[in-house]
Amino acid sequence: MLTPAELVWLLAAVAKGDEAAFERLYAATRAKLFGVVLRILRREDLAEEVIQEAYIKIWNRAGQFNPGLSSPITWMASIARNRAIDVVRKRTELSIEEEPTAIEVAADSPDPLTRREMTEELKRLLECVGRLEPDRQKLVLLAYYNGWSREQLAAKFETPVNTVKTWLRRSMMDIRECLGL
Amino acid sequence: MMAYSEDHIALAAEYALGTLDSDERAQVETMMSVDKDFTAMVEAWEHKLGVLNQMDGSVEPRPEVWDKIRTAVGLSEPQAPLVLPDAPQPPVAHEVSEPAAVVDTSNVIRLSAQARRWRNVATLTTAIAAALVAMIAVGVYQPDLLPNGVRPKPRTQVVEVKTPSAPTPSSQYVAVLQKEGGSPAFILTVDGATKNFWVRKVDASAEPGKSFELWLISDKLQRPRSLGVIGGGDFTARPVLASYDTDTINSATYAVTIEQADGSPDGVPHSAPVFTGKLIETVPPR
Repeated sequence: MLTPAELVWLLAAVAKGDEAAFERLYAATRAKLFGVVLRILRREDLAEEVIQEAYIKIWNRAGQFNPGLSSPITWMASIARNRAIDVVRKRTELSIEEEPTAIEVAADSPDPLTRREMTEELKRLLECVGRLEPDRQKLVLLAYYNGWSREQLAAKFETPVNTVKTWLRRSMMDIRECLGL
Repeated sequence: MMAYSEDHIALAAEYALGTLDSDERAQVETMMSVDKDFTAMVEAWEHKLGVLNQMDGSVEPRPEVWDKIRTAVGLSEPQAPLVLPDAPQPPVAHEVSEPAAVVDTSNVIRLSAQARRWRNVATLTTAIAAALVAMIAVGVYQPDLLPNGVRPKPRTQVVEVKTPSAPTPSSQYVAVLQKEGGSPAFILTVDGATKNFWVRKVDASAEPGKSFELWLISDKLQRPRSLGVIGGGDFTARPVLASYDTDTINSATYAVTIEQADGSPDGVPHSAPVFTGKLIETVPPR
């Protein structure tokens, strides 16, 4: 991964139509973005379509990136993730029940990427998430990482959808207050 | 920025979190197209929550994806393969996953379906795991705010052991080192390509004057081999795994013993293993 400063520079070059910069940007960020969308979509074919659309959008909108508001990788990941969420929300057949075994297998193996130093911003967000009740911490993190709908979260937590809705809203408002947004 | 109702703020936040349904997402996107301040609020949430992606696993897409992007945006002609120091070409294992391409087409379909299934499971493993590690991290940063049952006892810290250069990993292996049936004490991560390893201390503290030492135990070796003292300093460069072959690394048991402050003086363990674990592959090579 290139440094954020290098990525800002590449995005600025991409905004001017620099094709070599776009290729470098893709090489430096593709695995991260693909990991984000594959995790949500769980299907490589869908993830490939989404990643293509995301980079086309990045190529077209690089000039709108504002380094004062966001980091390049977060901005790019948001574009990819939003597209993935749109796709997964429209595919009702992708249900939580579809891969129960995989979820069980998954549940006891920690993530390998802990070596990356957490940024101050991540520490701060996790602090705020940590102030939520334990169930709601899990709720928020599973919603973000897996892109689960309220219905899927309700099934996972064996709780009515309306309760999940209330929990999510309350949790986000609590996080907002904690972050001082 | 103008003042928004709590409903609007919650809508922006949940859009960024991803929990809205299709209709609500369309509603938010419509609002964003006509209201710059609302767009700024959504983007602020996306940025705040987006830092969670730092804990994500990376997965290489197939090379065909780039060809399609390049064509779609109308790039002039294929560029020479780009080699960045921190983004090496995918390892040879990719070829192995689809070996029958010229010989037997039916086999290809079956193999690649299997490979996809494998990758999906592996990615999901990484996904759920990311949430778990985030939970652990929550414990790291706010131990006093967690209920007793969840609260980690000693202060935890991240310990990184690496060689000077650490290219993007191709496959990754992770072992949870724990007492039988106990909670994780250390998480060991090995990069399949470079054999660098990292140890993250989760829930363990050595007595004064003692230290934790990590050992590799393999039936291919006559005795346990020390991988050094762990949990002592924050960052230590110690590329010791590079001298072992991949089979040995992957099949070994990793064990932590309690030794004197600067580790075992004679290269043999002086306590029974306190925490043990074996590696599992979390991101397969392709």
